[in-house]
Amino acid sequence: MGFERCHPAVNLIFFCAVVAAAVVFTQPVYVALAYVCAFIYSVKRGGKKALIFDLVLIPLIVIFAYYYSIYTHFGVTVISINFIGNRMTLESLLFGFTIGVRAAAVLMWFSCIHSVFSADKVVYLFGRVSPRLSLFLSILLRMVPRIKKEAARIDTAQKGIGRGHSQGNIFMKIRNCVRIFSMMITWTIEALATASESMRSRGSMLRGRKAFSIYRFDNRDRSFVVAMFALITVTVMAIMLKQTRALYSPRISMSPVTTLSYLFYLCYAVFCLMPFALELWTEYMFRRARKTV
Amino acid sequence: MEHFKIEDLNFSYPTAKGKLSLENVSLTISKGEYIVLCGRSGSGKTTLLRHLKTVLAPHGKRSGSITFNGVPLEQVSERDQASKIGYVMQNPDDQIVTDKVWHELAFGLESLGTDQKVMRARVAEMACYFGIQDWFHRNVADLSGGQKQLLNLASIMAMQPEVLILDEPTSQLDPIAASDFLNTVRKINIELGTTVIVTEHRLEDIFPYADRAIVMDEGRIIADDTPRNIGKLLYEQKNLMFAAMPTPVRVFYSAGGKGDCPLTVREGRTWLAETFPKAPAVTALPVSEPDEEITDPVLSLKELWFRYEKDSPDILRGVNMEVQKGSLFAIVGGNGAGKSTTLKAICGICRPYRGKIKIFGKPVEKYSTGELFKNCLSMLPQDPKSLFVKKTVREDLEEMSKDKDHVAQIARLCQVTQLLDSHPYDLSGGEQQRAALAKVLLTDPKILLLDEPTKGIDSFFKETFAGILADLKAKGLTVIMVSHDIEFCARYADTVSMFFDGQVLTTDVPRRFFGANSFYTTAANRMSRHVFANAVTADDVAELYRINTGGSN
Repeated sequence: MGFERCHPAVNLIFFCAVVAAAVVFTQPVYVALAYVCAFIYSVKRGGKKALIFDLVLIPLIVIFAYYYSIYTHFGVTVISINFIGNRMTLESLLFGFTIGVRAAAVLMWFSCIHSVFSADKVVYLFGRVSPRLSLFLSILLRMVPRIKKEAARIDTAQKGIGRGHSQGNIFMKIRNCVRIFSMMITWTIEALATASESMRSRGSMLRGRKAFSIYRFDNRDRSFVVAMFALITVTVMAIMLKQTRALYSPRISMSPVTTLSYLFYLCYAVFCLMPFALELWTEYMFRRARKTV
Repeated sequence: MEHFKIEDLNFSYPTAKGKLSLENVSLTISKGEYIVLCGRSGSGKTTLLRHLKTVLAPHGKRSGSITFNGVPLEQVSERDQASKIGYVMQNPDDQIVTDKVWHELAFGLESLGTDQKVMRARVAEMACYFGIQDWFHRNVADLSGGQKQLLNLASIMAMQPEVLILDEPTSQLDPIAASDFLNTVRKINIELGTTVIVTEHRLEDIFPYADRAIVMDEGRIIADDTPRNIGKLLYEQKNLMFAAMPTPVRVFYSAGGKGDCPLTVREGRTWLAETFPKAPAVTALPVSEPDEEITDPVLSLKELWFRYEKDSPDILRGVNMEVQKGSLFAIVGGNGAGKSTTLKAICGICRPYRGKIKIFGKPVEKYSTGELFKNCLSMLPQDPKSLFVKKTVREDLEEMSKDKDHVAQIARLCQVTQLLDSHPYDLSGGEQQRAALAKVLLTDPKILLLDEPTKGIDSFFKETFAGILADLKAKGLTVIMVSHDIEFCARYADTVSMFFDGQVLTTDVPRRFFGANSFYTTAANRMSRHVFANAVTADDVAELYRINTGGSN
């Protein structure tokens, strides 16, 4: 009922923007915002599984920050000197930490992307660029499971005469696997040849191919896009005012935080949480609609 | 008005060394006709059909002309051919190109560059007409064979073709899905006036409804007439194709019936009722009493329970079975009843979680792989193609046995000697089946398990196949066969078991088994059960008819 019901183009714009921001922005507030928002939304979409994934990332961030500070030694604030005489600095530790957090945020965003983008949407988006490319993708999506299935079928057939991949001693097993694999290649070529015949028979070689779409760009998508672009514009202003970056070497420095900065932070957070808010809102509306029936 | 006109078409494949695959074929097909093209495998049916669409036409030497709507076919643009001439192929899986049902439906329209709005309307229309809307968003991989073939048909109909060409469209389907599919094709012909040209082995379902039947043999058209006349013609010519005719036709002519030949079971019933207004003197054929105790079971299954996953439903729910040595034991039943799973359990591919399987009195799990599959049992899978792993049939056979004489002998037995140097994938369905059988037999099994051995095979190959099985039985082999093909089981099996809901419900000799059923039984039995008690094959009915009318045998 949520964000995945929006038009794929809307999904695409959102995730492109949000991942790019998570990668590029180094200012601590922005990094923190990206992390928190990604955390919230990924848990909302993935439930318990996503929560476990997100929590596992936390020690990894810390380990990465420590590891980073051991091997890089820029910065002026010395915390300690290790046994071979290298300085451990606060700046490198913090910078390592922000890299870890940003990477975690990106990973969490990707887990959201994974749950929002079905293969259908990817095929559709490619179809906007080139119908042939999207067809190719679709054929690939069909062939891979088919090949797996056929391999299983051949293996069962071979088992029926005592020559399956798991029968006999180790040499027999290897030989049986090789036999099955080599036949799968022949089978795949055959299958592709027949598929191409079936395609040509339905005019795939004609000029002017178009991609069919099961999606519709509705009013909700329209308002979502308008809102998104408004917020993106504000964030772009923040970028131009150098609000989104910080320097960590030789010492931490960034543009001063002013009242306007808080507006920028707010806009960025709202932007990142838009799909989350949309999902909460539709769920609320759904429940209310059910109650009033 | 004529739709296709074929004049003096000759064709030979480049590898055939001048042998003609099509010889002097002349044929006119009018708009809206429903034409069934029959002939044994390799008679040139597919070659002829492929010539009706330029992109599918095989390469080779060709003379003669084909016109479509009065225009030579090669001058009809690719665009027109793509949309106006629809072609459905044999294997439902092979022709589906994309991963989603909706995408497959739209494929042709995408190619034609149809406007998005029109495309939506057409796809919706097709989904409704064919009853696809419920699985519109599904992955094609999740569909059943029948659904896949229906999707192929729908995705071609979406382009609104004038002609629909179908090349053995139901050979890979089970009987219920097959007759559903053929009914849909007939509906298209009647409701939309689309010209239909179809080749089929399963003539019972379409022969009575076709406007014309065309019989091909060795690349020539040997008969072109209404179905009713074709039966007569083939009988008089003593043509081998007669064996493929629907049961009522075969009964009528082999019994020497008088009057109009019946084409359907209903007509057959009327004909018999009119011939025997009073109950005839002899109504039943002798039935051999089955041995009460199976004295020498080669295989016994006791209370087998099996499921594929921990939480999935049980597939086998207490299977009990005993098989007499040297018999042909047939298991029939609907889709998903657990028939194939039982075979897999017997050869240890799946392990039941309860129950016992004994082969020659020894539990199956006590056998090592080497013991079990050498000189003991082996299985012919449903899709014979999946048994081949080498480049030629010879290599495939020789990997099973080093002994060249043995290979040659088995090849002779299965009649594949002349196919030894071909690539297994280049063989026809029936040839593949025989080559696969040869490969399986090279393990010298004492028990042979067959999974749907007659799927996609024409009636001659079936007879050949039955002959091979009889030879094997004579050598003391036990054959256990799982099949949808009740006609075949009725004719050749010694014992038939009904499988339902993971259990064996009844086991009996075919004559009593099918004689007792009234729905799940052979066409011959359905046609004659109001007059004769236990006639289950066309020969049975013809014999009883002759006995009662005093005709000489």
